[in-house]
Amino acid sequence: MKRVAFNLMAWTIVLVTAFPLIWMVITSVKPQFELFRIPPTFWPEEITFEHYRRLLWETPFLTFMRNSLILSFSTTVLVVAVATLGAHSLVRFRYPGRERLAQLVLFTYLLPSVVLILPLYLMMVWLGVANSLLSLVIAYTSFALPYALWLLRSFMQGIPDDLESAALVDGATRMEAFFDVILPQALPGIISTSLFTFILSWNEYLYALVLVNTDSARPLTTGVMSMLVSSFNIEWSLLMAASVMMSVPLIIIFAVLQKYLTRGFGAGGVKG
Amino acid sequence: MSAAGVTFTRVRKAFGEAVAVKGLDLAIRPGEFVSLLGPSGCGKTTTLRMLAGLEFPTSGEIMIGDRVVNDVAPGKRDIAMVFQSYALYPHMTVGENIAYPLKKQGMAKAERATQVARIAAMLKLEALLDRKPRQLSGGQQQRVALGRALVRSPKVFLLDEPLSNLDAKLRAHMRAELIELHRTLGRTFVYVTHDQLEAMTMSDRIAVMEGGELRQFAPPREVYDRPANLFVAGFIGTPPMNTLPGGFTDGTFSHPAITARFTVTGAPARVVLGVRPEDVLIGQGPHRATVRVVEPTGHETIVMLDAGGSPLTARAPAEASLNPGDAVSFALRAEKLHLFDAESQARLDARAVTLGESE
Repeated sequence: MKRVAFNLMAWTIVLVTAFPLIWMVITSVKPQFELFRIPPTFWPEEITFEHYRRLLWETPFLTFMRNSLILSFSTTVLVVAVATLGAHSLVRFRYPGRERLAQLVLFTYLLPSVVLILPLYLMMVWLGVANSLLSLVIAYTSFALPYALWLLRSFMQGIPDDLESAALVDGATRMEAFFDVILPQALPGIISTSLFTFILSWNEYLYALVLVNTDSARPLTTGVMSMLVSSFNIEWSLLMAASVMMSVPLIIIFAVLQKYLTRGFGAGGVKG
Repeated sequence: MSAAGVTFTRVRKAFGEAVAVKGLDLAIRPGEFVSLLGPSGCGKTTTLRMLAGLEFPTSGEIMIGDRVVNDVAPGKRDIAMVFQSYALYPHMTVGENIAYPLKKQGMAKAERATQVARIAAMLKLEALLDRKPRQLSGGQQQRVALGRALVRSPKVFLLDEPLSNLDAKLRAHMRAELIELHRTLGRTFVYVTHDQLEAMTMSDRIAVMEGGELRQFAPPREVYDRPANLFVAGFIGTPPMNTLPGGFTDGTFSHPAITARFTVTGAPARVVLGVRPEDVLIGQGPHRATVRVVEPTGHETIVMLDAGGSPLTARAPAEASLNPGDAVSFALRAEKLHLFDAESQARLDARAVTLGESE
């Protein structure tokens, strides 16, 4: 009885959470005339992929998609590469101010991002990369890196010192020890950090809005908004189709990585 | 590719304010089995890690063979190390673990396989080569760690408390195997432990350390029979040596329960008399004491006495029927008495001649 009640509640929560997503998918395949019908229909009377066709071939959607993919992948690669080495250094090497450095890294989180936007924008202008994808990669790295560093640091702290020492004695150089022994052990941490960074860059809006204002360098978030939402009109059906397509890469990535994530977290405790 | 000696010359290691090793001088002969023995924090592990190249000495010189290795990377020192935690690479199979040092040497795959097979046969690991470390028992993991050290026949083996994670029975077994291994390989072994039994049974010589300093470096028998100072006297032996502080005038040691005449030159006024529990003979003798606690262990009985206000531990035969509160007589083996300077704690070269009860 208790089980049934629990299940019922769980499913209610799932439905409430999922409803906007379901509505998004349904709306994206409804013909235009069905959108504003009163009373609204749940199941479309007629399924059309017209909105998707228009989105893909009559708008710069694919450019935005390409930008977003480049942006998110580069940010992820950069952040993970720097954070992995950085976290390793924070955990393994003794140098003055190491703890303080780790804390200072979190300092960026004390300031609301709106405060950082203008200095960052001026810096991009000064660097000569304003209004480009590169400026966004730099901006996203600046706020994804601290978190990634701390996340990976806690993962690396869980790797016994002796493993690296053993590799060194066995004849590996520091770099070899890092790649042969530390990296495979930190893999679950690296995967979750990548996931976090990717989602962050994929969904980011504010910086993209301020730092980039040409269509050729816009990512999906701001691109779709500026393209479909104007003061006079909101292209609901196209917006929904765009939203569906924006969710697809995340869903794919989650589907691929989830297995590694859970495997990574469970690996230590399971004797097999 | 033979054994090499190891020399520490005035080696000092400080971590910021804390000094882990204070000017260590130690010369280990080629092919010798040396234990670094001491309580935790005595600097023995730091010493071993400096020898491995995992820590850098703050000052001083470390030599392996006739080569100064202060600036040599761990992998280039021709050493192998077994860690307390075994430090097996969890994502590699047993075979890959053992082959790793060879791989880093650039050995070809086929040759590596031959070597791994040789080691696996030696340590009876053949059936486990494709397993991952976490699928092995503690004893098996220990053998893999040994195998990984053995595979490249290094000049010096470093072992950091390798047996401390095993259960008592397996530990006794592995002790015998390590002695055997040392004998067949003829290589230098440097073995860190806090377990005196391991040090006593396996070593050619024991380096007893305390507080970052070497307290004595001698064969096990000598460390036991002629401890160089009060620390070594108290650290080696279970139960430890009894130490009775007393005065010393005209060659006579005086304590409320014990007096003894010694032939000695230049002894200070305050000394400590040392006597091992097995050299306290309960039954008859010139001294008197009261029984406090009786601990039968099966093959013998440990008796704690109160001798003139000082605690005194004795080994008695298992049959001895003693009860707390009993008044007993006891004698000390004169030739087995030790005398230490109460101030400097150093051993005094003294021989007891007569023993008697104090008035």
